[in-house]
Amino acid sequence: MEFTREIYWNVGHNAGTLVPMYLFAFTAIGLLVRGFLKRIEIYKQGLPLIRTDQPARRLLHMLGNVLLQKKVARVRWPGLVHGFFFWGFVLLFIGTTLIVVQADFTDLFFDMKFLKGTFYLLFSITLDVAGLVCIFMLGGLLVRRYFFAPEGLETKKDDAIMHGLLLTILCTGFLIEGSRIAVTELGTPLSYWSPMGLLVAKGIAGMGEGGLRAMHKVLWWTHFSLVMSFFTLIPLTKFRHIFTTSTNYFFDDLGPKGKLVNLDLENEEAETFGVTNVKEMTWKDIFDADACTLCMRCQDRCPAFNTDKPLSPMKVVNQLGEVAFTNPEANLVDTFGKDVLWSCTTCRACQEICPAAIEHVKKIIDCRRAMVLMEGEFPGEEVMTAMEATEVNGNPLGIGYAERGDWAAELGIKPLAEDAEVDILYFVGCYGSFDKRNIAVAKSFVGLCQAAGVKVGILGKEEKCCGEPMRKMGNEYLYQTLAMENIEVINSYGVKKIVTTCPHCFNTLEKDYRDLGFAIEVEPYVVFLEKLIASGRLQIDARELSCTYHDSCYLGRHNDLYDAPRALIKAAGGKILEMDKNRAEAFCCSAGGGRILAEEKIGERINVKRVKMAAATGAENLISNCPFCLTMFEDGVKGAEVEDALRPKDIAEILAERVV
Amino acid sequence: MKILVCIKQVPDMESKFKVDDGGTWYAKTDLAWRMNEYDEYAVEQAVQLKEQVKDADLTVLCIGGDQVKETMKKALAMGCDRGAHVADGDSSGKEPYQIAGIIAEYAKDKNFDLIFTGMQSQDRGSGQVGLLVAEMLGLPGITTVVHFAYKDGVIEAKRELEGGVKACVNVAAPAVITCQLGLNTPRYPTLPNIMKAKKKELLSIPVDDLLKVESRQETARMYFPEKKGGGLVLEGDAAELADQLVKILKEKTAVLG
Amino acid sequence: MKVLLIAESRDRKLLGSCYELMAFAEKTGAESAMFLVGADTALPKFGGKLYLADPAAAGEYNPDVHKQLILDVVAKEQPDVVAFSHSSYGWDLAPRIAFALQAAQVSEVVEVVDGTMVVPVCNAKLRRDVKVKTGKTVVTLQAGAFGLTEEPNGTPTVEKVNVAGDGKITFTGYEQAESGGVDLAKAKIIVSAGRGIGKPENVSMIAELAKALGGEYGASRPVVDSEWVEHNRQVGTTGQTVAPKLYVACGISGAIQHLAGMKKSEFIVAVNTDKDAPIGDVADVLVVADLKQFVPALTAKIQSL
Repeated sequence: MEFTREIYWNVGHNAGTLVPMYLFAFTAIGLLVRGFLKRIEIYKQGLPLIRTDQPARRLLHMLGNVLLQKKVARVRWPGLVHGFFFWGFVLLFIGTTLIVVQADFTDLFFDMKFLKGTFYLLFSITLDVAGLVCIFMLGGLLVRRYFFAPEGLETKKDDAIMHGLLLTILCTGFLIEGSRIAVTELGTPLSYWSPMGLLVAKGIAGMGEGGLRAMHKVLWWTHFSLVMSFFTLIPLTKFRHIFTTSTNYFFDDLGPKGKLVNLDLENEEAETFGVTNVKEMTWKDIFDADACTLCMRCQDRCPAFNTDKPLSPMKVVNQLGEVAFTNPEANLVDTFGKDVLWSCTTCRACQEICPAAIEHVKKIIDCRRAMVLMEGEFPGEEVMTAMEATEVNGNPLGIGYAERGDWAAELGIKPLAEDAEVDILYFVGCYGSFDKRNIAVAKSFVGLCQAAGVKVGILGKEEKCCGEPMRKMGNEYLYQTLAMENIEVINSYGVKKIVTTCPHCFNTLEKDYRDLGFAIEVEPYVVFLEKLIASGRLQIDARELSCTYHDSCYLGRHNDLYDAPRALIKAAGGKILEMDKNRAEAFCCSAGGGRILAEEKIGERINVKRVKMAAATGAENLISNCPFCLTMFEDGVKGAEVEDALRPKDIAEILAERVV
Repeated sequence: MKILVCIKQVPDMESKFKVDDGGTWYAKTDLAWRMNEYDEYAVEQAVQLKEQVKDADLTVLCIGGDQVKETMKKALAMGCDRGAHVADGDSSGKEPYQIAGIIAEYAKDKNFDLIFTGMQSQDRGSGQVGLLVAEMLGLPGITTVVHFAYKDGVIEAKRELEGGVKACVNVAAPAVITCQLGLNTPRYPTLPNIMKAKKKELLSIPVDDLLKVESRQETARMYFPEKKGGGLVLEGDAAELADQLVKILKEKTAVLG
Repeated sequence: MKVLLIAESRDRKLLGSCYELMAFAEKTGAESAMFLVGADTALPKFGGKLYLADPAAAGEYNPDVHKQLILDVVAKEQPDVVAFSHSSYGWDLAPRIAFALQAAQVSEVVEVVDGTMVVPVCNAKLRRDVKVKTGKTVVTLQAGAFGLTEEPNGTPTVEKVNVAGDGKITFTGYEQAESGGVDLAKAKIIVSAGRGIGKPENVSMIAELAKALGGEYGASRPVVDSEWVEHNRQVGTTGQTVAPKLYVACGISGAIQHLAGMKKSEFIVAVNTDKDAPIGDVADVLVVADLKQFVPALTAKIQSL
């Protein structure tokens, strides 16, 4: 027999079918397009932003994530369920499209049929399996949402409609197939290539041809109508994520990761800085709300949310959308809430996991900029004091700037002002220069360099805070002032390479400073030391070390440096007892986002929570790579009362203890 | 209403000081400079008064070299309308009577309703300039103000006394007010105000135009105090130190019975 | 040399700073007379001439009237030096007298060395010797800088001075500090918290040590200004001046305003990570340690005694 089937069987391939069908279809698609055009008007309230450069790269990024469901599958079981549902749905969509293409186009006009033979067999079985997979996956997602909902998952009427509609479409699809097979294919070898359809057919064969044909026709039109309704509902419900989430990948921020937009402070026309109104956000910020599917993954990983602070990144994103659509005059700072905005540590856990390419952090910083630059407001007086101290002495600790290089004197390290012939400029940072605990780390690092025969220079009293905590708090003006002063000084010495032991300094010099014309190579110490060890210039004597390792946010998620530090710990002889939340899932120490300057007043202490996670591994040492983390952990072990059991240490220190 | 606030640029007290080559003042190298903390409260109060009265013009005056203009810009960014910079390359060589003389000479024909200044400077700490200006201009003066209110030409102030007690006083403007720490919370300048400040009038007046009085005292010598110490210095592990201290307290005092 | 000592009273009670003024006169070997706006029931044990004005007439705070009274006495006594305490009264009155007498004013004298007055500079990190060019001098004396070598026991010859005129400034009353029942001046043992405690939560460890020692806890000004501790526990020139048997200063650098309030304590222990902190100058024992580790250790040790 011929492996094919009559398209439009029983329904009739005639004007009586085609006219209403195409009319309905065009109307539905027209409504779909119109729905989105209306939404685009709302996005356009926002400021322009170019996210269409490098289109090939963007397209690849989008296809990779959409087709392969890469980020969705990061959370294994619901991710894969969605993935399989998505692939099934895509196949069914392609399949149905092929049918229409053949029936109403290639066959009608060119007498060309391709849904035949082996191709048709594969077509048939693929779609049957796809349909079954879709029903099971959708069923699984339904059961999860309605019976095993993770805490905080919001379920609305929308969701019932969406589940109901799709399940009905899928089920009617099989019923339609079953009734057709029952009448035309029962007993034929072809029928085995539609196993689900065959099962249904066998079940309903008893209805008799008349009944089956009647049911088939009704169901066919029902199924068709439901699909058309589905189209019109896309822009109006969470279904829109089919288009918005996928295209959000196209419009994604191509990096560098975590770099903030430079505010043009020279612009004398500018009357406002930062964002308090939806019109001051970009169109992408508003579009992000439409791309959000309320999956909660950002919230689940937010260190603030998980310690009873009022910040939920998901809520911020969605509130922005609500305001854009229903109340565009609203003040965004009041809408989000000041405590919400100040709670963020810019750890990027939200953006790293977000399967919709949403940019949460930028929105928060934009509002902080408005609070600081327009109102002179900070989360507390202690932050204002730190800002003022930085203005006076170039460091938030308020220590006299002239002493900044004093820690290095006993090691024979000279400031560049005295000797600029160096192999590397070590940009020490405020904590490494002034904080007793972190001076020990700076000394360890310098000791390692000296052992490797690397000549190190520092800026000493000419070095100022890199400006990162100030920038993340929203004080763009102070940040740019500090940055430009640092850049001028560094450039004046003809420095070739800079190494930092602070990930915040590294991130800022490597990314943010580039916007201000800074072009010198910057390397974080873990990469620098790894190279020294690999080349044999630095010899480390491995000695056993019971430890766990904390991936700092600014080397980890912000710069994807997870392996180099681990290699160093291994070289030192350490066997890491990894925490559950490690690498990209690491839990912030609390001091990012400028919060190193602030007091933590709400909820549970984030650093104590993280220390408890470390203590639970049973390790004796908690190794980290950031002065903020080290400071937070020294505090945290006291708060968690594990001071005698767990010692916070920096990678540089354990290496320095083992240098040959 | 016309308001004057007098500020001084001082070194940050966290700086490591050295005596200058002349031996009579501290060396100006390796110092971070800032507005005298007491003057910050004065500027804030002056700006708040201006905001309350609305139709007011606020001048900030500062004596010193070109570098003090940075500090004046902060006052302008906090809300002062204009700056009067008295250009003086040797302001630290002058004593309070001369400083007051300069300010009084500047203010004498300008009919200020209120003159604010800090009650003392963080470096010299004489605490005299405010009242000397008041006496020179024949105005009433109130010192160590920790609360200030103005209504219909009358100033209601609270002075901070020892023991946390406050004295409530009032006086009719015009008057001189010297400000104590804690009078208010000095605002952080907003960026639009910082940018506007760059364009505000900041005139430099040569100090010789205003210095009409002789100095009445001078510094013979500046030096570091002898480290008296004499006390015992204990270092080491916390628990051991606790033991040591308890022993000492038992030996040398009667507090541990 | 003759010095006119300006004593103070509040609420008709004589303030003890008058004895520091007398000690200054003693140190400089000057003849002295004293002026006081105060009650005749609370006279200082001063063996010389005391010009007394009635506070009911002169007012508790009335700079114009007080100034005139003093100038009248100066006209009679013709002192070379008029000495005030470096107190809120002295800050407010001394410059007015100096102006009227066309005299230089030397503020916050801490020492007199061979007739040269020494004053602190930059939070007492430095000192300077002052050379006065005028015939008369007005001085204010740092609290606690001068102390009598022997118990005072004189009886003053009182001359009442009449109050004339009014002042431009009206005094409407005192506002007491928030009551809290703590009178640090009476405590025999005080443990104080300074900025070095780091955060408000650490006040409790200071309070616990105080309790273990059977004393009270106090604080330096920055801690009170940050509202980590109530104002009536502030030790220092604008807080309370105390002289307990034991004073333990935790995380206090020793800014002059604080030192002035406690340096007469019998035994002073300072806990500070900075070996060079100025408090080391007055401390009998300086424990160089992190107070967050030392204080609980000490408390535990004391509790176990």
